[in-house]
Amino acid sequence: MDLSGTENRKLDSQLSYGVSALSFFTRYYIQSLLVVSVVILAAVNPYFRTLGNLENILLQASFAGIGAAGMTLLIVSGAFDLSVAGLLGLCGVLISELLPSLGVVLTVLTGLLFGLLLGLLNGLVVTKLRIPAFIATLGMMNIYLALAFIWTQGSRVISVEDASFNTLGTGTVFGVLPIPFVIMIATYLLCYGILNRSVYGRCLRAVGSSEIAARTAGLPVDLIRILAFAIVGGCTALAGVFLTAELSSASAIMATGYELTVIAVVVIGGTSLRGGAGTLFGSFAGALFFAVISSALNILNVGAYWQYVVTGIFLISALGVQALRSYILVE
Amino acid sequence: MSNSLELLNLRSIFSVSNATRLIQVAESLGVFALLMIVVIGASIIAPGFFTYTNLTNTLITASITAVTGLGMTFAIAMGGFDLSVGSIQVLTAIVAAGLLSIVDAPLAILGAIFTGLALGLLNGALISKLRLPAFVVTFGMMSIVRGIALLVTQGQSVMITKHIEFGLLNNGKILGLPVPFIIMMLVFIVLSLLLKHAPFGRHACAIGGNRAAAIVSGINVDRVTIAVFGLVGVTAAISGVMLSSQLMIVDATLGTGFELQAITVSVLGGTSLSGGHGNLVGTVFAALLLATIASALNILNVTAFYQYLALGVLLIFALAIDTARRTFIAKSLLSRA
Repeated sequence: MDLSGTENRKLDSQLSYGVSALSFFTRYYIQSLLVVSVVILAAVNPYFRTLGNLENILLQASFAGIGAAGMTLLIVSGAFDLSVAGLLGLCGVLISELLPSLGVVLTVLTGLLFGLLLGLLNGLVVTKLRIPAFIATLGMMNIYLALAFIWTQGSRVISVEDASFNTLGTGTVFGVLPIPFVIMIATYLLCYGILNRSVYGRCLRAVGSSEIAARTAGLPVDLIRILAFAIVGGCTALAGVFLTAELSSASAIMATGYELTVIAVVVIGGTSLRGGAGTLFGSFAGALFFAVISSALNILNVGAYWQYVVTGIFLISALGVQALRSYILVE
Repeated sequence: MSNSLELLNLRSIFSVSNATRLIQVAESLGVFALLMIVVIGASIIAPGFFTYTNLTNTLITASITAVTGLGMTFAIAMGGFDLSVGSIQVLTAIVAAGLLSIVDAPLAILGAIFTGLALGLLNGALISKLRLPAFVVTFGMMSIVRGIALLVTQGQSVMITKHIEFGLLNNGKILGLPVPFIIMMLVFIVLSLLLKHAPFGRHACAIGGNRAAAIVSGINVDRVTIAVFGLVGVTAAISGVMLSSQLMIVDATLGTGFELQAITVSVLGGTSLSGGHGNLVGTVFAALLLATIASALNILNVTAFYQYLALGVLLIFALAIDTARRTFIAKSLLSRA
């Protein structure tokens, strides 16, 4: 990562001014896009710039954002997890069932631990049974969803009546920042520390760049991947805690399509699906960008159905931008 | 020296290809044996399973899955796969149902199939021309097409009231066999001919086996990729038409998880995700197996949620077997060399 950074900088200095500006925008395009879209929307629509709406955007961004933090680490290691929607539903159901008897702190801890364990299970299936990650986690998604359905006897909604727990989703810090958003920032700082400042992070990047080389160098590749899956499970469970608190209810289908949003956030943020390198700053901006767009669609009264179309188009075009970027760097 | 080495290589290649062929046959037989066991077990445990009506219904359900599964087998043989088939199935089912209120049944069916073909070709073009990974493109298309289906219907269901004869596509019988089964057999025959006896199928397998070698040997990889994804789109559309003639009332929430079923029947039938060959017979048997399990669970009054569970477990199981088989082949290759 650092190495390629210096190389890029060297390359940049050789390039003409126009191309390096282009290269800047292709590297930080999501951040630029975020700023531009926020400025335009705030200028055009008076409702968009109300404090309530901004707060809502931050809140919405944190659900996908927290999951995307863990997913970035996993994608850097060269795998990804499609089971997060099922995992989140199952954790949400567990949390809402345990809350009356265990109290807030113990329930949240149990929920997180459960998420970690499910993530660990995903990792074991992918590495020990040696099944390609996308299809193994697609199967695991079905299993988690089925378990959640069986537990709740269908898509029954379990309501959560604990006021102090619900504050986790609806409360704010300093009256402005929603609690989930503060936790999201903390999650990103933690993941940044793991990815860029720890030995484990270096291992993740090594495994993602070349699994064979990592194996030859004697790295415990399977263990590294399993841990990355567990981190995704933990992050998803954390998002599940806040989503359950915000909705003050849980059901098996509470997070349908979550895997698509999370992976789209990471990819749009600029992390390559090939693995080996990733940008948490990009994922952070990507989560905010998605929340801004969906808020704009809501305000403009376009309807929820467009969100599917827009998410898909953004996902595919983000890859197009990545391809363009590598093309520019090569030229 | 070099001569004998070559001979050794040749011999090992031949014996390995024999071994793989043997394993392939054994695999089809394996799924077939499993199917027989489940059918016999279901007939004993679940009274009412082995009746004409229920068997016909099971056959119809299996045929709908099998048609898309056959297309998916082609894509997997080429080393790709398509996650958007569930969304394409539902959109084409809606297109067929919607067109029936305006035009005749044949035109409505054609419209649905062209929709599927166009979406499949778009998938293929994005994958081959923009060089994007199949996983992300079809994942994105899954969302886009689902969104379009929701937008077109505005979340309402579409009922088929005109041209009721469209239902014959589901209820009709030719020589005592349900029409969906005959459609599936036709698709099977056409795809088998394409896969084994046409350059197109051989090229697809060559790309799946070794992409670089396929490019070097002059295969137009882009064109084959686009054609294969177009083919998958068409099979998904045929499944969509069959689905809408089965239900006669469709909405945009149908077909979720259908991509998983299609991939499962392919892999369970013995088509390896690593690409290079496709086992179409196995796919048909695996689709029958899934439908039989679902039907037996239904009769035993087990809720649909356990079927999701069964599907997930079965998929993981099939993939684990596939990996074990590949490891076995790799090992036998090593020990021969």
